[in-house]
Amino acid sequence: MAERVSKDVGAATAALDYDAELMLRVKDGDGASFAILLEKHRSPVIHFLYRMVQNQAIAEELAQEVFLRVYRSRGTYEPTAKFTTWLFRIATHLALNSLRDGKNERTQERLDEHTDDMPVRQLPDSKPSVEQAMLYQAKFREVRQAIAALPEKQRAAVLMHKYEEMEYSQIARVLNCSESAVKSLLFRAYESLRARLAHMA
Amino acid sequence: MNCPLGTRDQAELLVAYSSHKLDRGQAAVLEEHIAGCAPCREFVRAQQAVWDALDVWEAEPVSADFDRRLYRRIDAQVTWWDRLMRPLQPLMFHKNVSLAAAAGLVLALGLVLNQTAAPPQRPAAKSGQVADMEGLQPDQVVKALDEMEALSRFNRLMKPETPESKM
Repeated sequence: MAERVSKDVGAATAALDYDAELMLRVKDGDGASFAILLEKHRSPVIHFLYRMVQNQAIAEELAQEVFLRVYRSRGTYEPTAKFTTWLFRIATHLALNSLRDGKNERTQERLDEHTDDMPVRQLPDSKPSVEQAMLYQAKFREVRQAIAALPEKQRAAVLMHKYEEMEYSQIARVLNCSESAVKSLLFRAYESLRARLAHMA
Repeated sequence: MNCPLGTRDQAELLVAYSSHKLDRGQAAVLEEHIAGCAPCREFVRAQQAVWDALDVWEAEPVSADFDRRLYRRIDAQVTWWDRLMRPLQPLMFHKNVSLAAAAGLVLALGLVLNQTAAPPQRPAAKSGQVADMEGLQPDQVVKALDEMEALSRFNRLMKPETPESKM
């Protein structure tokens, strides 16, 4: 199988990642390769979408759509870019559409109310004091609000840069813009965050 | 070097430095400047504080039934063509075989349609007679419609969607 895949891909795509090879196997009808891709990218995609739309249920619904589209597109897949670039392009597109459609319009209300869906954090001390817990809650809430306040494209750029540790070039390909545009987006985004979170320093 | 805060491009370098994304060479040059520039020092300190603050936001665990739900949706989308071809999967390994099978099926469907759509041999209409549309039997019409529907579904299947077009 590996031999055939490499023949198909050719020299031009020889430097591409293992994920792209897996996707080519999915194209050939190998369901196990799809399972490997899902296992590897499930969490990063859902976490990215969660931070974009700030609602876990919507994030998982969108992630289902992302992987469904990956599966449906297997027949026409060509490894012209890194697999993750293609994957996050689909994810970003769906997240931006969802935000524009107002599917998660409750998000802002929820942010203003309370943080019921706040993850349980393992603090170093097994029994965090009330003060520690309150401090963490306050920080968590402020960070969420600060990121939610960013324009959508800046938000996507920051999330890919900070949490997915993507290079400028990859973010540029996901957002379909130039690298210098990404640097500019990030600069403005981090400046906004600095203004909002200055007191946390 | 000139103070990075003087120009936007250079200030972007400071942001990259604060997020630990600069290579060693660039970082060393900047550090030399920052050591003697109070505004840059303050800028970097504030940006690093933002970078660290963002670590507070941990993602939530994924639902345990995420994969199950996804596979159920995938399974629901399996077409009659896929189900038909599943037993032949080992034979369909090569794209050419798949294309040949599809072409064969199209040809066969075309022949069937051609035969069934051909009007039955009827005596030549006498002059002045109106075309006899009611001469068609209802089951012939139903059959022809079914076949057209099948051909239409097949055409849709033969035009796979592209990721770009879905985006």
